[in-house]
Formats: sequence, C-alpha cells, structure tokens
Amino acid sequence: MEYVNPLTGFRLDGRRPNEMRQIRGEIGVVAKADGSALFEMGNTKVIAAVYGPREVQNKGQQINNRALVRCEYSMANFSTGDRRRRPKGDRRSTEISLVIRQTMEACILTHLLPHSQIDIFVQVLQADGGTRSACINAATLALADAGIPMRDIVTSCSAGYLCSTPLLDLNYIEDSAGGPDVTVGMLAKMDKVTLLQMDAKLPMDIFENVMQLAIEGCKAVAHYIREVLLEHTKQLECHRGA
Amino acid sequence: MESSKGTEGLAGEIEVEAYRRLFPLPFYERHLLESVRPDARPLNRARDTTVALGPVASADGSALVKIGDTTMLAAIKLEVMIPSADAPDEGSLAIEFHMPPICSPSVRSGRPAEVAPVISQRLSDVITSSEMINLNELSLISGKAAWMAYLDIYCLNADGCLFDAALLSAVAAFSHLQIPLVSVNDDGRVVAVSGELTEGKSKLELVNKEKRKLSLRSKPFSLTCILHEKYILADPNSEEESIMDTFVTVVLDSWGQLVSIYKPGGAVLANMSTIKACIAVAKSRVKELNNILNESLSEMEVD
Repeated sequence: MEYVNPLTGFRLDGRRPNEMRQIRGEIGVVAKADGSALFEMGNTKVIAAVYGPREVQNKGQQINNRALVRCEYSMANFSTGDRRRRPKGDRRSTEISLVIRQTMEACILTHLLPHSQIDIFVQVLQADGGTRSACINAATLALADAGIPMRDIVTSCSAGYLCSTPLLDLNYIEDSAGGPDVTVGMLAKMDKVTLLQMDAKLPMDIFENVMQLAIEGCKAVAHYIREVLLEHTKQLECHRGA
Repeated sequence: MESSKGTEGLAGEIEVEAYRRLFPLPFYERHLLESVRPDARPLNRARDTTVALGPVASADGSALVKIGDTTMLAAIKLEVMIPSADAPDEGSLAIEFHMPPICSPSVRSGRPAEVAPVISQRLSDVITSSEMINLNELSLISGKAAWMAYLDIYCLNADGCLFDAALLSAVAAFSHLQIPLVSVNDDGRVVAVSGELTEGKSKLELVNKEKRKLSLRSKPFSLTCILHEKYILADPNSEEESIMDTFVTVVLDSWGQLVSIYKPGGAVLANMSTIKACIAVAKSRVKELNNILNESLSEMEVD
C-alpha cells in the first residue's frame, strides 16, 4: 500500500512526511479535578485529570521522603474502530499506564511533596494513533494546571519509517502498517529524553534520523504547550483583577 | 433550631467560605428563606444545558451533554448479531454507564463508584419501559441478522444530577444515530458497506437501501429534585446533593406521560402534594429539554 505517494510525496491524509497533525490543547475541562486538560492530536482525543497532592489512600504504599505518583490509562469503549470489551486492566493499558507514570515521575519534583499522592488519570475518547503521546502531553498540561512543581514540560511525539521515508506523527492506518514506530518523550528545555520506545527492526543510521524527527516533533509540541499555558495564566491574571 | 441559633452568633465573625464549609446546612437554609440558592438560581430553575451531536466521529451516533458542569459523553456502536429464537425480528440494546476516575475526586481507581451500576440499571429500565426504540427497526434479516446497539455513556465531570444528564445524552445519541449500509457477502455474513463502494459494485445486494435514522416514538426526559423541609430544589449540583439526601427523580416522555418516579428513601417524607409539585416542575423542564434537543437536531440537518 502506498503510504507515501511517490509522485507528490503526500501521505494518505494529505500531510507531508515531516508534518504533524493539528494539535489542540485546553486546560481546566474537569471542574472538580485539581488540574485537567483535553489534548487532541488530529483525531486522537484524550482527557487527563490530576488529583493531588492528596493524602495517600493506601498507607502501606506511603513513601516518607517523596510523593507517590499513580497513573491510570483507560480507553472508552467507543474510542477505536471496533468496540472494546475491557477498557482497562488489559495488558496494553497496564503497560501504557506504567510508561506514563514513569515518564511523569521523572519530571515531577516529588521530593517537595513527601507523604502525599498524585493521581494522574487519562481517558482516551477517540483513538487514531499516537495515543501514548497525546496522553503524555495532556498529562503535562493537567499537572501544570494543578500547580504541581515540575522540572520541565514533558512532551511526546511518535515517528515511523514507511516507503523509505521517515514519517512524523503516525495515525492509526500508518501505525498498523507494520513498520517501525518510535515514540520519544523529552524534557523540552533541558533537551533530555525521558521516554524512548520502538518496535520492529530498523537499521541504526535510519533510526537516528527517525529519532531526530520525533525530537523535532516534541519540540514543536512543547512550543505549543508553552503558548497554551501562557494564555491560561494571562486569563487567570485577568480574573484575579491584576 | 438551637444549633443554628448558636451558629448565627458565629456567622458574623467568620468569613463566608469558612461558614459554608463548616455549617453547610444553615448556610443553605439562609438562602432558601429568600427562595434562592447560592449560585443565584431560583428554586425551580435548572442549570444551563447544552447538547452537541456527533462529537465522536467513529461512532454511529454520539452526543455530548452538559448540564451546568456535569458532562456526559454518549456513543452508540452497532454490531451485527444473530437474533434470539423467540424474537427473530428484533435487535437489542446494551446500555452501560461508566464513571471513570477523572470525573470526581471521590472515585478511586480500582474501585468503581457506588452509583455507577445503579444509574446503569435505571437507564436500561427507563429506556426499555418508555418504549422509545422500536426493536423491530434494528432487525436486518428476519431470524438471521439483527443489530446490537451498544450504548456507552461516560461521565467526564460529575457535578450532580448524573442520571438526568446521562438520560439526555442517551436520547440525544439515539436521535443522532444513523444505521450504516450493509450487505451480505459470499460467506453469508453481513458486512458493513461504506458509501463509496455502492457506486462501483452493484452486485452487492444491499440489505437496507439507504442510511436511515431510528424513528423514536417518544423521548423520555427527566428531572431530579431535592426535598428539604418544605422546599423543592430542582437540578441540584454535587454540593447540594452531598448536604441534603432526599431526592426524587421524575421521568416524563415528550407527550407529557409519566414514565418513572424514583424516590429512594431519605430523611424527608413526601406527601402527594409534594410529588405533584415535583411533577409540575419536571413538566416545564421536559419542554425545555425537548426544545434544546430539537434545536440541535435541526442544526445538524442544516449542515
């Protein structure tokens, strides 16, 4: 199948190989949560809600010098093409929950909030490839909305390699093509990679190109997220009557 | 009354927010005396309601409903199944209500919310007993194939009146539902056909000729009211629900007929006149909801 048109160079949805889908982020969508955000990457829509820092619910898990970070990833039954029966608790969801938790834990300053618990809940409303990345981006926005101290903004983007071309931000059709899928999560300003995942075989030199492309994508998302946060802060300032 | 007299003295000394948290009931009673609530609503007015149709593009029918801050996302997916032997001409419905942990701080991951299965069951009961959907319309080939409609409702923000919002989102999603085109392939299995294929392959025998919507006989709408002493508060938010525990839910259909009344215990005992007053408030609310839904539907048609 022609994922990249050899004549025009366009992909199936009309994008160029190094073009991301349209992203949109909104803060404060769940009123009851301490912090919440809605993040869309193309047709992938994800809501993240952060509750915390709050008292540890299971005293046995309490850590004395750091905050406990928990994360749960679940997909709505109607989010994918066929209706899913077990939206959470299946292996893929557990794995993604772990990945998101470890990625966010790396950037939250947990030593500032001992004896407490920070819960990150991510709900996928529509899945069209790149759900992992959208979840991490949404979680970053939600953590910032909750005012939890972080080292830096964590952003994530995926890239792949089909028809001898590195492609940025795969959608579901491109993802299920069987080619390699590289997901990168990085701390934007500090220029450090916290998450790197890849499946399928890829030669080393091509891998470097694909990873570089994904890193560029992360930087673009970070730029956008910074704008959204600045806009939100200005609105808060207005409401406070500064 | 003595406790509230004691707090009256304190009221002048501590600020409003602290008073609201420490003595919520006297705080509310002060407002109810003036026939108003802390969010400036009169007692029988519901919160602003919006209905958006079709937010989930991959589902066959979907709706996003907001009543105040309470947000519900409903989506319907249709799958082909073999109808049961004693009802060969009928499809079926499966309704599920989910409260994911994002919606409220009281929902813990791993332990589902207490009210979620209750609301799920009540929704099933109300939708079945209101006969909104004619199951014969979900049939494809008598005895061989019929539609199973999976309705999933997700609460994205829980701020009171979950049942009302869930029912409205279910009705809106069914109003938006479009049954896709299908045909029987060589193995004798029914497969979905996308619109573009019908022009090229005229060999495919279409089981239904065009994408159609369900004809809904009567749409049920509901209103939950909280009873406190002699006051009736319509459409409570979560703060009001946590302080006052007696509530009555009235479900009426668009013809004005009573579909269901639900009053699960509570400290306040209601007599006939109270129930009648609740039904009267519900009637006006049902008209309002019907208008809102029809407006959204006609906006969709224009597009």
